[in-house]
Amino acid sequence: MSNAPDRYERFVVPEGLQKISIEKDTKVTNAATFTLQREDHTVGNLIRMQLLRDPEVMFAGYKFPHPLEYHIFIKVQTMGKKPPREAFDDALTNLIGELTDIRDKFQSEADIKRQLD
Amino acid sequence: MLSNRRLPDLKIRDLRDDYCEFELSNTDVSMANALRRVMLVEVPTIAVDLVEIEQNTTVLNDEFIAHRLGLIPLVSTAVHHMKGPFDDIGEKDFTDVELSLHVLCTSDDTQDVTSNDFILDHQHPEVYPVGYSDSRMQSEDAERPILIVKMRKNQELKLKAIARKGIGKDHAKWIPVATVTFQHKPQISINRALMDTLDEKVKEAFVDASPSHALSYNSVTKQVEVTETEAYMYDGEYEKMAQELHHPDLITITQSDNEFIFRVEGTGVLSVEDVIITAVDVLTAKLRNLQQALPPPEQNEGEN
Repeated sequence: MSNAPDRYERFVVPEGLQKISIEKDTKVTNAATFTLQREDHTVGNLIRMQLLRDPEVMFAGYKFPHPLEYHIFIKVQTMGKKPPREAFDDALTNLIGELTDIRDKFQSEADIKRQLD
Repeated sequence: MLSNRRLPDLKIRDLRDDYCEFELSNTDVSMANALRRVMLVEVPTIAVDLVEIEQNTTVLNDEFIAHRLGLIPLVSTAVHHMKGPFDDIGEKDFTDVELSLHVLCTSDDTQDVTSNDFILDHQHPEVYPVGYSDSRMQSEDAERPILIVKMRKNQELKLKAIARKGIGKDHAKWIPVATVTFQHKPQISINRALMDTLDEKVKEAFVDASPSHALSYNSVTKQVEVTETEAYMYDGEYEKMAQELHHPDLITITQSDNEFIFRVEGTGVLSVEDVIITAVDVLTAKLRNLQQALPPPEQNEGEN
C-alpha cells in the first residue's frame, strides 16, 4: 500500500513542472516533441488526429508511455512552411472551434426538444 | 489557417433527465471518444469523501461503512459553484458539504439504516442523496432509499460524512453516469441484382441468419429489406451466410467513420444534459489551458 502513488497525482500538475514543454528534434528538421503533463489518450489522440488533417504536417503521433507516468508525448514534423509549434497551436484552435459548435448545436437541439414536451 | 476545422452536426433523438441518445456526425472517432472519456471520468460531481465515525457498534466495520457512504449518489447540481480540494480556493468558495447521521436501534426487530437517515447540511440543502425523502414525511411513491447497514437492538451508528467535489479519474464514486457509449453507424447495402437470383426460401433464411434482425423479408414485394440498420451488431452472420451461398458480394456492411450514435445513461446525480454540456466545457477548458501553457515561439524558429 505504502508505495502506491496518490490518486490525485493523475490530474494535478506538480509544482515546478510545466504543463507543456517543447523539445526540438536534433536530427530531423522541422520536428519537435511536445510533452503534456497530466494528460492521457483523451487529449493525445484528439490532437494527433487534428494535426494529421493539416496538409502542412508531415508526421504526427502520440505516446502515453505508461499508465503510472501521467504525461503524453506528441511528436510533430511539418513540411517546413509552418513550425511545429504553430501547427500544434492551430490544431488546438480548430478543436476548440469544433467543440464550440458541438456545444451550441446540443444546446439548441435540447431547447427545441424541451419546447416540444 | 482555419480550413482544417470540421463542422460537426448533432441531432438529439431522445432527451430525458436520465437518458439521452444523440447522433454526432461530420467529425472523427477521436472527437467522439474524447467526449465519451470526458463524460465518464472528468465531469465533476459530489460524493462523500471523508467520514468521521463517532460511534459504530453495528456489524460492519468503520472502513466498510465509509466505503458504502462514498458510493451513495448525491444530487450534484451545486457542483458548478463549488471548488474541489485541488483548486485554488478563495475565501468565499466552499469545498465541503457536511452530512451527519445518527441512528440507534431501540426496537426488537431488525432496523435498516438508509440514505434517508442522513441529516443534510443546512447551509447546502441542495446536496442530498438521490431519491432522498425526509424520514418524517415518507410517502408511498417515494423511491426506495439506499441501504447502508442493518441493525439489531441497542446497536448504534453516529457519524459525520464530508462530501466533496471530485472526478471519476480520482475515484469511481464521482462518475456522473451509469454508462456512456457510442457506436459507429452501420451502413448496410444489399446487392439487389444478386439477391433477385435467390429464391424465396433462401431469402427468408438469409434474413434470419443474424439474431440482430437488421434485415427483414417483405412477403408482398418478395424482397429483402434493410429495416433496422442500427440493430445490426457486427456479428458477421449475414456475410457468413452470403459466403455459404457462394455470393460474397450479396451484402456489404461497413461502419461509417464519421457518424456516431451516443447513448448516455445518468445516475440521477446530474441531468444527462448537464453531463454532456459540462463534458464539452471541460474538454474545451483542457484545450484552452494547453494553448495558454504553450511556450512562446522562438525568434529563430524559421531558420530550422
